[in-house]
Amino acid sequence: MDSTKPLEHDDTIIKLEHISKTFIVEDGEARVIEQIDLEIRENEFLVIFGAGQCGKTTLLKILSGLESLTEGKVYIDGKAKSRFDPRVGMVYQTTALFPWLTVMGNVEFGPKTRGMGKRERQKKAQYYIDLVGLTGYERHFPSMLSGGMCQRVGIARAYCNDPEIILMDEPFGHLDAQTRYMMEEEVEKIWDREKRTVVFVTNNIEEALYLADRIIILTECPSTVLKEYQIDFPRPRSLVSPEFLALREEISALVELREGVVV
Amino acid sequence: MICGKRYWEYSSSTTTYIRMMAVSDSVIGSRLPSSQGRTLKEKTRYILISVASLVLFIVIWDLASRTGIISAKKLPVPSKLFETFLYKLTNKNPDGNTLGIHIWTSLQEALIGFFFGITIGVPLGISMAWFRKFDKLFSPLFDLIKPIPPVGWVPIMITFFGIGIMSKVSVIFIASFIPAVINSYSGIKQTRDVHTWVAQTFGASRSQVLFTVAIPSAAPMIFTGARVALNGSWVSLVAAELIASTKGLGYMIQTARLVGRIDVVFVGVLVIGVFGAILMEGLSYLERRFVKGGRR
Amino acid sequence: MTVRQWISDDTKETWIYGILGFLLFLMVWQMACVFTDFGTIFPSPGVSIRTFFMAFIEPIGRYTLLGHISISLKRVLIGYGLSSVAGIIIGLLMGYSKMAHAIIYPIFCIVRPIPGIAWIPLAILWIGIGESTIYFIIFMGGFSQMVMNTMDGAQHISPELVGVAKVLGAKENQIFRKIVLPSSVPYIFTGLQTSLSTSWMAVLAAEMITAREGAGWLILSGMQTGRIENNVIGMISIGAVGLLLAALLRETERRLCIWTVRSR
Repeated sequence: MDSTKPLEHDDTIIKLEHISKTFIVEDGEARVIEQIDLEIRENEFLVIFGAGQCGKTTLLKILSGLESLTEGKVYIDGKAKSRFDPRVGMVYQTTALFPWLTVMGNVEFGPKTRGMGKRERQKKAQYYIDLVGLTGYERHFPSMLSGGMCQRVGIARAYCNDPEIILMDEPFGHLDAQTRYMMEEEVEKIWDREKRTVVFVTNNIEEALYLADRIIILTECPSTVLKEYQIDFPRPRSLVSPEFLALREEISALVELREGVVV
Repeated sequence: MICGKRYWEYSSSTTTYIRMMAVSDSVIGSRLPSSQGRTLKEKTRYILISVASLVLFIVIWDLASRTGIISAKKLPVPSKLFETFLYKLTNKNPDGNTLGIHIWTSLQEALIGFFFGITIGVPLGISMAWFRKFDKLFSPLFDLIKPIPPVGWVPIMITFFGIGIMSKVSVIFIASFIPAVINSYSGIKQTRDVHTWVAQTFGASRSQVLFTVAIPSAAPMIFTGARVALNGSWVSLVAAELIASTKGLGYMIQTARLVGRIDVVFVGVLVIGVFGAILMEGLSYLERRFVKGGRR
Repeated sequence: MTVRQWISDDTKETWIYGILGFLLFLMVWQMACVFTDFGTIFPSPGVSIRTFFMAFIEPIGRYTLLGHISISLKRVLIGYGLSSVAGIIIGLLMGYSKMAHAIIYPIFCIVRPIPGIAWIPLAILWIGIGESTIYFIIFMGGFSQMVMNTMDGAQHISPELVGVAKVLGAKENQIFRKIVLPSSVPYIFTGLQTSLSTSWMAVLAAEMITAREGAGWLILSGMQTGRIENNVIGMISIGAVGLLLAALLRETERRLCIWTVRSR
């Protein structure tokens, strides 16, 4: 439609313009997202951080096509985005694996639905299974794997569909702390190797600071952009360096203050 | 049932289970249901379609038998069925009793057999699951009797008790006894260890654990057993009455068949269906009253 | 005590108690036959066992025991097969499409609570006495359970997984094949199990009323001719075959639904 829309940044891959979302609930309407404007740059690791639970996930669902928009527009590469765009992949909060498919079956699901040949897609799936460190588990069913392993499969499944943008919706929220650290390192390594745009939603400050190129802080319901931080610490990052701790303090204070105002 | 249940436990816990079609548009695993207004309008539309479908079904039935496409000897006109129903309420033809007597007889037989099946089966199942020696002594025997369909017992019971009420009651007893035992047995066996441990750390004795933890947690399973039992009772009751009896709904349709009164057969079959549904509904009501914390 | 010893002790105990229970049962049966009037109408265990083995060689009615059983088996497999296929198709249709549900469900509700066996008199009036009547009765015996279970499965699809598939690029028809169908499989198997046992009931009742061969006839003829031992062996063999079929079905399910096995 509006394909001649000029890009502000030459490396902008997704542009959100005045995004709003309202749900109709039993007793009226609930505004979840209020006028968000956002540009996501190619190959960046963008973390969306916020304490509440409504806005962030809904934003990702809008990007993935799982939710419709109330107002606003989403552009990918300067063109209006269609509902389910193959260039967008998603990793979910809960494992959301297909329980009746093996690890291999889950990872190759995307290419298979697009009609890729068996040998080609299995080779590809194998590559990503190896990448997330699940070599040898191809024939296992999700019910036989631990929570961390299931999330690895989820990540491999998202990458295997060749998206340009990967959305991750609090993927490690249900994992124990130890596994969580491991998975964060793993995700950083994969991102470093594969270089895709990642939009990562979390409510954990450390996780945000450890992973992000840029952090967008959202307010509570209805969500809107509160503040934006560019994080330029060298990778891999230390969780205890003074700059890291200082920024962590600053963001916690900001969010707490904000919440105090809301309550 | 077991297989399905496992899958439930596997699949995510928080998602609201909304029908496929409602989902395909917008709400996917969201805690905030959207587009409610539209689904309400949709609902009325589907109800209208259902009503239309039912009306159409009856009209086609009526036309088919009125025009003689299907002979009225094989398919009576719907209105005729209503007439027959009213007629049968007071008239004893062709089988010697009014409809009310038949219904009363069948219900009596079914409920007495069911009652004894449950009151003996459930405690037996529970003790088989709770006392190891009891389990080992009775399980093999029970495994032998379990696969025999209750209908198979009809001739033996008739030989023992004649064609009166006792033979039916005993067949129905078996039909409900077996699922009652199986379900209460596996209900107790599936008690979660954690729950037992909690009770034990509070100092509960073995019998306290049985009555405060094991039996309550098995209650949903036991009710499932009762539902299977009631269903089985009603089915085997009809079978027993068809094969040999002098009263009851099964007897009524069998006699009507022999004298070629298809309208009476139809009425009988529908009444059997309706009372089966009423019995099941009654049991569901009891279950809602007594099982707390939801099923599954 | 090592684990191994403990297990072997436990299995030993299982056997001892199992045999003890069985012997107790036989003893009570034998005593009842010898010391009470029970023996005048009911055969003793010895007679029953002898008749059972004789029945493999000497025909009862028109066939030997094996013949009767295989006739019943054939009838069940045909009727049950047809009702399963029809039940799965209609169940999936009603579970997946709201429109189909709105159209079919009210009519189905009239048929649903009627036990398969109650169709016997109607079926005889419609079709007459013959094989197809028996198939029809078995069909009706399992049909509604099959529909209800399949429908339940197709309605309880996790919306989350549908979303996952859509984000991965699946189209509407692929969602039916790749999400709705596999997630209904456990429910379908539940339906297959319950409808198998009602099919057995239905074939017995149908044969008792309309047939002159098969296990149901064997059992009933035992009563009519006063040879209760035929009755007893008929029940034992129908129980054994039913058990075998159920076990076969469970094994198939285990292989097809490995993924439902909980190992966490």
